[in-house]
Amino acid sequence: MSITLDQVTKHYAGVPVVNDVSLDIGDGEFFVLLGPSGSGKSTLLRAIAGLSGVDHGRISLHGRDVTHVAARKRGVGLVFQNYALFRHMTVADNIEFALRVRRMRGRARRARRAELLRLVSLEGMDDRLPAQLSGGQQQRVAVARALAHKPEVLLLDEPFGALDAKIREELRRTIRQVQRELGITTVLVTHDQEEAFAMADRIGIMSQGRLLEMGAPHELYARPATRFVATFLGAANLFLARRTPDGIQVGGKTMGTAERAPGAPEHEVVAVVRPEEVEIAPAREALGSRYLGHGIVDEVTFTGALERLRVRLDDGVQAPLLATAEGDANGSVALQVTRTRHAHRGFEVQQGQSVAVGLRRVHVLPTPLSSFTACARSTPLADALTRQPLLAELVARMKTRVAVRIEPSLGLADEPAEAKGEFFGTTVIAAEGDNAVRAEWLLRRGVKDLLVLPENAAPPQRVLIHWMGEAARSATLAVSASVLRHVPAEAVYLGIFPGHGDSERHSYGMRELLDARSEAQAAHGLEMRTELHFGDVAQELTRRLAEAPAQMLIVGITELKHFATAFGALLDGGRWPVLIVQRGTS
Amino acid sequence: MSFRQASVLPGFGLTFGFTTFFLSAIVLLPLAALVLSAGSMHWNDFVRVVTSPRALGSYRLSFGASLLAATINVVFGFIIAWTLTRYEFPGRKIIDALIDMPFALPTAVSGIALTTVFAQNGWIGRYLEPLGVKVAYTWIGVTLALTLISMPFAVRAVQPALQEVQRDLEEAAETLGARRVYVMRRIILPTVLPALLTGFTLAFARAVGEYGSVIFIAGNLPMKTEITPLLIVIHLEEFDYQGAAALGVVMLGISFVILLTINLLQAWGRRRHVRAAH
Repeated sequence: MSITLDQVTKHYAGVPVVNDVSLDIGDGEFFVLLGPSGSGKSTLLRAIAGLSGVDHGRISLHGRDVTHVAARKRGVGLVFQNYALFRHMTVADNIEFALRVRRMRGRARRARRAELLRLVSLEGMDDRLPAQLSGGQQQRVAVARALAHKPEVLLLDEPFGALDAKIREELRRTIRQVQRELGITTVLVTHDQEEAFAMADRIGIMSQGRLLEMGAPHELYARPATRFVATFLGAANLFLARRTPDGIQVGGKTMGTAERAPGAPEHEVVAVVRPEEVEIAPAREALGSRYLGHGIVDEVTFTGALERLRVRLDDGVQAPLLATAEGDANGSVALQVTRTRHAHRGFEVQQGQSVAVGLRRVHVLPTPLSSFTACARSTPLADALTRQPLLAELVARMKTRVAVRIEPSLGLADEPAEAKGEFFGTTVIAAEGDNAVRAEWLLRRGVKDLLVLPENAAPPQRVLIHWMGEAARSATLAVSASVLRHVPAEAVYLGIFPGHGDSERHSYGMRELLDARSEAQAAHGLEMRTELHFGDVAQELTRRLAEAPAQMLIVGITELKHFATAFGALLDGGRWPVLIVQRGTS
Repeated sequence: MSFRQASVLPGFGLTFGFTTFFLSAIVLLPLAALVLSAGSMHWNDFVRVVTSPRALGSYRLSFGASLLAATINVVFGFIIAWTLTRYEFPGRKIIDALIDMPFALPTAVSGIALTTVFAQNGWIGRYLEPLGVKVAYTWIGVTLALTLISMPFAVRAVQPALQEVQRDLEEAAETLGARRVYVMRRIILPTVLPALLTGFTLAFARAVGEYGSVIFIAGNLPMKTEITPLLIVIHLEEFDYQGAAALGVVMLGISFVILLTINLLQAWGRRRHVRAAH
């Protein structure tokens, strides 16, 4: 491996800007770190270059641990967005800078310079000053300068940011060509997904300091694992759908069978449909794909090669659309459709026209958290809950929605423990006092994921994870991973075992922790710290929660028998957001 | 030359007129009067006054101490400017404001303050005395006073230039394998050199003309700690206006030559720069 990052973490003012990133980049690979501004991608690149230290973790280049090695000894070449050329030096002096530092002889130096200038097609520009060159030429000089000392790794920090589209295209090609010719391992940081697609062998997508997903461009585009990646990488329509034994149901109609997981119970999922996978036709019979419903064309935009449409589904279509790529937060849920010129010629549409809509390909996100349901005894209480800052933030970041459900007898013991209609998504209740009673009431009625939310809980900086019973283990990990993809917090797994920590119990506990960590890493790409505690579970959790502010607890349970006695005190305090994951109970 | 050039301020002719009038009335005319006044002396008298041992001693002290003060200020001004532009620390704004204090203080006050501290029984002077270092009433005291009052010029000249040197440049040099000293020598210094020279010039010019603060700490022993401006005042007090003017003319001449040299050096540096580029 050329570059190996192991749990790299970097904090600024207590906030993790790079959060537990582990990554292997192969020899000669062109890796693109893609993410919105502030996602930590540039910080990560600077950490690889050695320009900023890390708080935790390890960085190796070609098998050499360089975590504590100065930038000048790392053997990397770095290209900056604003070129960072030495303005008082000529092109020749700029390129030869690294060679002069290394005391290379004059003739060898000039030969190397000529070679580099040829590589970036700037022959004869030796004696110019940077101010006499165009932006594109300056960046070429910067690339040549970064390659002069034959670095093992080339790092590019938004190198095309300051250039206009034509030059950008040209320089992209040059860099890709140079990279192939030299076979040099390259990491490029960008916020432009088109650029990432055009250049990358592999893309890693960062958000809020975490490396959310990585893979080949077409893989990531076709099969994203998270809402963030689905909507950040190209346009996407997100539906709340149901996974049934027959396949994926969108709006009550079975859409795909390809991705169904046999044996899994029916539950709510999030489905991704790319705009080009939506088909429109004059009538249902004319569709070549599965029919979803009818809709009205809201808007038609011509963009050259493609035609973009916005189609508002009829009220009758029960397919809750969560969000489209443009992030319609104002509740407008129109389906995004793109069509080729060819399709446009076959069926021309006007604004306001009614069309039949079909879906060619539906991808289901493998995330357990689909939507939230705010549950309370009365409407004002439920409405207040939907405005809770942490919930609002989660909803915005997960691009999902909050439903409201009124249960007048919530928490009253004399009600029979039967579900009056199923609970979908994650049920949310406000922490108001009798939390344990209300939580148990809901859990007994089939709520799988329950979030107990104090009135003014803020987004947590640390998420504590624990499960009681192996049956809840993988579900708790999956839910935790899903939450942590959307919250820039540190994940800590607490292994808590009864009694006192003698050496035998201790080694058993350590094994458990290692198992949990490797499963989190392998199955969910979740990096978490682990802690070993001994004693009563609820007491230890409470003690740990009280230690620092802004913490959240995710706890997996497999039985409700002793729920109130175990969690009564912890929940009734109402001081921390607690997410209860219930699995394996009958 | 045409007086019709487009500009925001109306009328090149008018503004050019103001410029020449102001320069003439405020700067050139008094200087000319000075030269004329000295010119009314007999040549032999002029030579006798300006080459008297006492005058020669005062030139040496005035220009020597001023050059030394300007040099010290360029070095420490650079360090202070560096600290202020590169680091965030509590009280940075206050220190930044303190830099300008010597501007605002009447120079006599600075002189009294320095004397209080550095006299033989002063706060610091009493500890330096046993070491054989005398500050007050020696050329060291003169240099100290000149350094104090000319310090803001050096700092303020370098500060903007340092702000211009981007962090990226240093980081680029670092990834290319350069050590800090090399980065300082090849990247930072060349970039701020013109500003350093400007700072030196301003500090020097200010120091040469200083009078108020020096006379308190210098002790004013003829030949030893007497600066030229003081000598001029002494001539004036003896109603020897011509002698004072003669010394003034000499100061004017030497200052002009030194400032011109620095300016030429700067221009030469720029030219060399551009020549290297072609």
